[in-house]
Amino acid sequence: MSRYSAVIVLMVLSAGCTHAKKPEAQPQPSPVVAKPDAAKAPQTAKATSATGTAKAAPPATTPSKAAPTTATPKAAAATPSKSPAKTPVKPATATNTAKTVPPPATKPNAATPPRPTAAAPTLDLTALEARLKQTKGIGVMTKLSLKNQVDDLLGEFRKHYAGKPVPTIAELRRSYDLLMMKVLSLLQDRDQQLASDILSSRERIWGLLADPKSFAALDA
Amino acid sequence: MTTRVVALASSFLVLGCLATTAAAQQDVEALKKDLTAVIALQGQPCGEVISATVLKQNDYAATCKDGNKYHVYENDKGRVVVDKQK
Repeated sequence: MSRYSAVIVLMVLSAGCTHAKKPEAQPQPSPVVAKPDAAKAPQTAKATSATGTAKAAPPATTPSKAAPTTATPKAAAATPSKSPAKTPVKPATATNTAKTVPPPATKPNAATPPRPTAAAPTLDLTALEARLKQTKGIGVMTKLSLKNQVDDLLGEFRKHYAGKPVPTIAELRRSYDLLMMKVLSLLQDRDQQLASDILSSRERIWGLLADPKSFAALDA
Repeated sequence: MTTRVVALASSFLVLGCLATTAAAQQDVEALKKDLTAVIALQGQPCGEVISATVLKQNDYAATCKDGNKYHVYENDKGRVVVDKQK
């Protein structure tokens, strides 16, 4: 009988261990990599929105990322081009330099994960609404609160297109950027895929809202 | 044989209870995070919700780390309202 009680005690102990492990499993998403991307992009968008050139925001980040990747191959290509010109014997050293260069070339390949985010499918307002409804990254009350704020912003657009001078397009853009930042800050740790999709389709959605015809079609 | 079965059953019962408690704890944490986000979205000072009570469906009382207390609820127009409690 004492054996059985010992077995029970062991099982309870093991159960206790599994209970203690569960909170560790909760913060399982690895947001550390995506945080800088999501954090950087709104900043660039802010800067561009302040100047008024909205479309430059997403491409501005990608060339800067691509620049270092192209720079290393150029440097790698430059060294072999010099060495063959001198003597045919030296290609051995040229290959040696070529061998040392590839590691930096492979590093940018490892750092390419931002590229898929840039090539992520763009969302329109309907798709965004559906994705936000589906996501488990934010709670019900947060979703309701966000919906309220989206409705408020759409109301402001309606006022603007009705000819009222109060919300100018610059003010609307500011409100839009602010709302997007709220959404992104809520999602970047909990649903990175949706956050990056929103980030990539940010300008497209603004384009839909800023065009009176497309807005009227959305509003209908 | 019977004692073995009884021992196994009781241990499974204990395991089930522990799992249920863990799930409930996760729900509470999710609710706190949700309310923290809602209060922040409304621009109210809070920091972090440390305790939350469900009053009704979509109706909560939240206590924040900084001592502020809020009534967070969905009104009849479908808007989320955050009322600061004294």
